[in-house]
Amino acid sequence: MSVIGIGAVVTQLSSCAPMIVFKGEVQRKKISVPFSAFTEFNNMLIVRNDQLSFDILLIKKLDGTFTALEMKCSHQDNPLTANKTGLFCASHGSSFDFDGKVLKEPALLPIRKYNVEIENLAIQIIL
Amino acid sequence: MRYKLLFLGAFIGISSIKAQILTKEDSLAAGIISRNTATVISGYGSVKYKYDVNRKLAEANVDRVILFVGHKFNNKISFFSEIEVEDAKVAGGEAGGEIALEQAFIKFNLTKNAYLSAGLFIPRIGIINENHLPTTFNGNDRPFVERFIIPATWREIGLGLFGSTNKIPGLNYSIGLVNGLNSEEFQSGRGIRDGRYEGRDANASALAVTGSLLYYIKNFRIQASAYYGGSAGLSDLDSDTLKLSNGPFGTPVLFYEANVQYTNKGFSFKGLFTSVQIADAEKINNAYGNNIPETIMGYYAEVGFNLLSLSKKTEKNLTVFARYENLDMNNKLSPNGIVDKSKNSAYFVGGISFLPIKGVIVKADYVLQQTGAQNPNLLGTTDPNFKKEKGFFSLGVGYSF
Repeated sequence: MSVIGIGAVVTQLSSCAPMIVFKGEVQRKKISVPFSAFTEFNNMLIVRNDQLSFDILLIKKLDGTFTALEMKCSHQDNPLTANKTGLFCASHGSSFDFDGKVLKEPALLPIRKYNVEIENLAIQIIL
Repeated sequence: MRYKLLFLGAFIGISSIKAQILTKEDSLAAGIISRNTATVISGYGSVKYKYDVNRKLAEANVDRVILFVGHKFNNKISFFSEIEVEDAKVAGGEAGGEIALEQAFIKFNLTKNAYLSAGLFIPRIGIINENHLPTTFNGNDRPFVERFIIPATWREIGLGLFGSTNKIPGLNYSIGLVNGLNSEEFQSGRGIRDGRYEGRDANASALAVTGSLLYYIKNFRIQASAYYGGSAGLSDLDSDTLKLSNGPFGTPVLFYEANVQYTNKGFSFKGLFTSVQIADAEKINNAYGNNIPETIMGYYAEVGFNLLSLSKKTEKNLTVFARYENLDMNNKLSPNGIVDKSKNSAYFVGGISFLPIKGVIVKADYVLQQTGAQNPNLLGTTDPNFKKEKGFFSLGVGYSF
């Protein structure tokens, strides 16, 4: 039974598509992410820039809107990890939904949500 | 002169405002992305009333109050510390009470999703070791498997690398190199708990390595971790005299655990299994007169349901839970070990946890503890008042901010 269990976990691991990391430039306090950065296989990607201390998770919702969340835990500023069900802090167990709202403590505050605009066939994340 | 004094006072005032301690709300709500320094204060604690159903006696205790102080030097380097007071008071000569550092380390952000901790830190082993705030677990007492087998809160001095990989979303890892244990202090029925140094005068001639993989997939949180370390940082002379192997990994302790958590729509499940292997238990017993087994095993499973999750109008949480724990402290004895089944325990824990707001919790639970019989051949360990079955009712409050 334990061999079957481990095999199932390995299958799950290998079938998870890697998270796309988009390296964006900061211009006029915005990062521009083209629509084409999203593929038919992913509805979220990581936006990265060296000027930022933490990555941004950009999510394309079912209604076509976008949410940009800072991947920093509001408990003790540790980096968050994301999968298809939410954002998680491996350090102390906090979890957040895709609106940045706390689902599980010890974090008490929501994570930072950036305003986004649509302009020139791109998502503009306003820093 | 008066205007000079006013100007000086204003300058001091403004400087003081810039240097003031920021709460988490200040630093987050301000939407700051460029401020490089911040000092944060937070903490947690719990108090409980406990009634012994058999002895018909009660006690009340401030289990712990912890103060966290952290400082961000810049976007790459931070300092974290936690100081703990257990049992409210430490008075010279009196038993009980403890003031201790739980953490004191410098954190170096290496990449966007990896950081290095250097100092006194908590390795990723088990659930409670890192996730020990009272608002994050059910029951007034931390799970007994994670007190007496995984000796949470277990912290040592060393280096820890923590990170995640984007190649497999949800996968986190940790690797640690810390000082080892002190097998002279291992006690029967308490596993390796008393062999921890916890940052005080640690013998770093014995070393330990730890590692973990933690994976978030769908509604599951799955973790496996291991520890391998020496427990006899002795000189060559003492090693020969006591007949214990020394060196960084001499008289080794092997520790492993696996746990899984599942959360969905108010329902929660936790399961954990752990084992400690002390291959040289016989030699340790010969050297120090302990009664240490070669293998210790434990596991627990808990289910809970948040009754208020049925309502979408509240963020309050009222969870009813039930947990079963099994601690086999004599799983495999050494050739010179003496069985003491009174140290083996099964716990049935049931209760409720109520969070009226995030950060505050009220707990009520009943613990039924069942142990094995005492061994009359163990001199000095038999208690005429010993009972194989004990019941405790506890009521407590906890907080974290």
